[in-house]
Amino acid sequence: MIELPRSTPSNSELNIKVIGLGGAGANVADRLQLDGLDGAELIAMNTDTQSLVGSVASVKVQLGRDTTRGLGAGGDPELGYAAADESADEIKAALEGASMVFICAGLGGGTGSGAAPLIANFARQQRALVVAFVTMPFTFEGRRRMAQAEEALESLRQQADVIICFENDRMGDAVNPRAGIQDAFVAADQTIVSGVRAIAGILRRRGLIHAGLDEIATVLRTQNSRSLFGFGEADGDNRAHVAIERALRNPLMDRGRLLADVQSILVHVAGGPSMTLNEVTLLMEELNRHVSDSTRLLFSTAVDPQLGGKMCVAILGALGAFERLPESVPRPAKALPPPVMAPVPEREWIAVAPPPKLEECPKTEPDGAVAEPVAAVAPRVARVGRSGLQQKPTREQKQEQMTFEPVNRGRFEKSEPTIVDGQDLDVPAFMRMNVRVK
Amino acid sequence: MPNEDFIVGLEIGTSKVCAVVAEGRPDGTVKINGVGYAPSRGVRKGEIVDFETAGKCVREALADAEEKSDIMIGSVYLAVSGGHIESFNNRGLVNIPPEREEICEDDFEEVQAAAREVSIPPPNQFLHSVLQHYYVDGQDGVLNPIGMMGTALEADFHIIHGVGTRIKNSIRCVKELDIEVEDVVFGPLASAQVVLDMDQKNQGALVIDVGAGTTGYVVYADGAVKHSGCLAVGGDHITNDLSLGLRIPMARAEKLKTEEGSVRLGRSSPGERVVLKDETGFAGKEIEREMLNTIIHCRVRETFELVKKRLDESGASMDFLGAGVQLTGGSSTMVGIDELAQEIFGLPVHLTCVKGTMSGPTNAFDNPQYSCAIGVVKYAHAMTAGIRRPGLFRRIARRIPFFNNLL
Repeated sequence: MIELPRSTPSNSELNIKVIGLGGAGANVADRLQLDGLDGAELIAMNTDTQSLVGSVASVKVQLGRDTTRGLGAGGDPELGYAAADESADEIKAALEGASMVFICAGLGGGTGSGAAPLIANFARQQRALVVAFVTMPFTFEGRRRMAQAEEALESLRQQADVIICFENDRMGDAVNPRAGIQDAFVAADQTIVSGVRAIAGILRRRGLIHAGLDEIATVLRTQNSRSLFGFGEADGDNRAHVAIERALRNPLMDRGRLLADVQSILVHVAGGPSMTLNEVTLLMEELNRHVSDSTRLLFSTAVDPQLGGKMCVAILGALGAFERLPESVPRPAKALPPPVMAPVPEREWIAVAPPPKLEECPKTEPDGAVAEPVAAVAPRVARVGRSGLQQKPTREQKQEQMTFEPVNRGRFEKSEPTIVDGQDLDVPAFMRMNVRVK
Repeated sequence: MPNEDFIVGLEIGTSKVCAVVAEGRPDGTVKINGVGYAPSRGVRKGEIVDFETAGKCVREALADAEEKSDIMIGSVYLAVSGGHIESFNNRGLVNIPPEREEICEDDFEEVQAAAREVSIPPPNQFLHSVLQHYYVDGQDGVLNPIGMMGTALEADFHIIHGVGTRIKNSIRCVKELDIEVEDVVFGPLASAQVVLDMDQKNQGALVIDVGAGTTGYVVYADGAVKHSGCLAVGGDHITNDLSLGLRIPMARAEKLKTEEGSVRLGRSSPGERVVLKDETGFAGKEIEREMLNTIIHCRVRETFELVKKRLDESGASMDFLGAGVQLTGGSSTMVGIDELAQEIFGLPVHLTCVKGTMSGPTNAFDNPQYSCAIGVVKYAHAMTAGIRRPGLFRRIARRIPFFNNLL
């Protein structure tokens, strides 16, 4: 028999650049550099020279030499923007030749919030894919900072292909309350680092079942971009089990409980050549226990010899209502001529409308040729009417229900939850069924 | 002096610990000598959460059983349960060497081993593999293949497995009391042994054991176990729902459930109220009866629907269960539960407890709470008696050396 080896194309042509922007970004970049990220170039960009000097990144770019004179942006996004604008040429030079750019930044401050959208724009001009990893500030940092972060996130959304957003508040939950503040920040950094690593891995590994940027973008396209992210890695006999366990234990997962609320998730399973189908099945079964039936699950798997005996799983999703807008990643948005939009609704209703049923035009058959033109028009009219009705519910966003009472499990509060099909059975049945009791 | 001829079945349940002392007769019948009972603490959803307290309750129940039967207990057969226990069906195949052509005992062992060559999650261990059917060279309906001629022997097994450490916890709890554990049995499977007679197993039946912490289910068809499982939801959950929904303490909710509770909806007159008495007997809070029943109804309905969903998913056909649904276990005494089960499963429903080849104090048979513990005795007797009445014991579980691994 002729063996047909599965080709695993080398990905050397994929030039990944990771930018650590601002103070928070620099921490992430340092960590990435220390832990090592194969095939990626790390660039630290900051307005603050002090921070740049301390950084171990291989390329460093000082932003706004004249604007800030080596000091920070002082929490002012305008200043951050101006600084990046001033150093536009240097940034572009640093990004030269990249096919994929990861921007890591903490939003809410000056440099990160101000410069990130601009840098994303520069990267796009180089025809690179832009993936932004951003953190939202802690609530205690104040409303103003949060507002700045929201604004920056919004403008970044227009530039970046994919945004993965971590909330510092939720990261704090994961850390032992007695742990030092240092540990809390390290944990936050580590989560982002493993996020960068996982996404890079997903994109770099040409998998058996491949997931690309389009899948990632689909999964993350929601109205509020609170990302759900979990990453686990393990080796040994029990690696499938341990890997998924670790992934679910991630700070952004809430022990897998949040998975039940997610409408669409991407799961990437990678392992060394020794990974068996059985292990993948086992892992997915375990994950499926936490996911509700209606969730759209995008699955991808890849074999990466570099992983050796390890197996790793990355889970990516976004909380909140799923955005149904057909507007996909607006990559060449500026080049897109507006008239293209015009025929879209027409094509849409044809696709949406069901085939005309017999009872709608019963005269077609006996009358034959005479009735034909009528029939050709009739269903069309009928379709328009129907599609008009039909489209509404699809367009309608699902309204999330507020839970008025805190979820209560009574005597089972401390015992291991019994979760079946994404429902916690320890919560009283009548509460989950929305039956009103007094 | 522990007596070797006696079999003791022990169930460490969520609401009670129950020990049954019985005497196995050579003709396959079992005579019950005494039933020991103690309310259980430290057990949630069928699993021990407080080792020390649970141990005390077990000791109490065993002492009670010793007193009632006048026998010293040295070893027990233990029922285990819990939401972690799962099952599936698998077929094993062995080829008979051409020079032999005759099927012998060893082939049976081999086919069983072959059926177990499937992967279960790593923390899990096999609990039972129950023989369903033999096929010799593809011909089915073979009851006993030993001695038959053939080139290939196949057998379907129903395999039950659960998390090893959790099963070991129950065993250790008993062993701490210096009592040997002879074997472990999956609770609902044990209940089915006494709830169903041979005819019903052949006709097909669904046994649902609604306990306090778990709801176990076993499907029999053509005399063999087709599906089984356990849901970690039971009567305790009803009590918890009542306590949270009506804002009353757990003990009060439990009393309310057993005394006034029903799963029937729309049977009470509008505005009908139940008066909750406090400890001193004075009238306390008033609760609308319909509300009380709605809360119970929601929980029981959901539990049955989940069981039905699991059965549908497993592909076990519900159409050929001639003997219908048999409800047993402590929570099956809830008023109207049979009507609800009938509505959900679309099958005739019977509330049952122990029947068939048993003798002894009849009050133990009439109480569905004891089905499991008595079932364990019956199971153990069938396993150890070594008698093979065709069709009955051939089909009861063939054990795997699971237990040896634990010791």
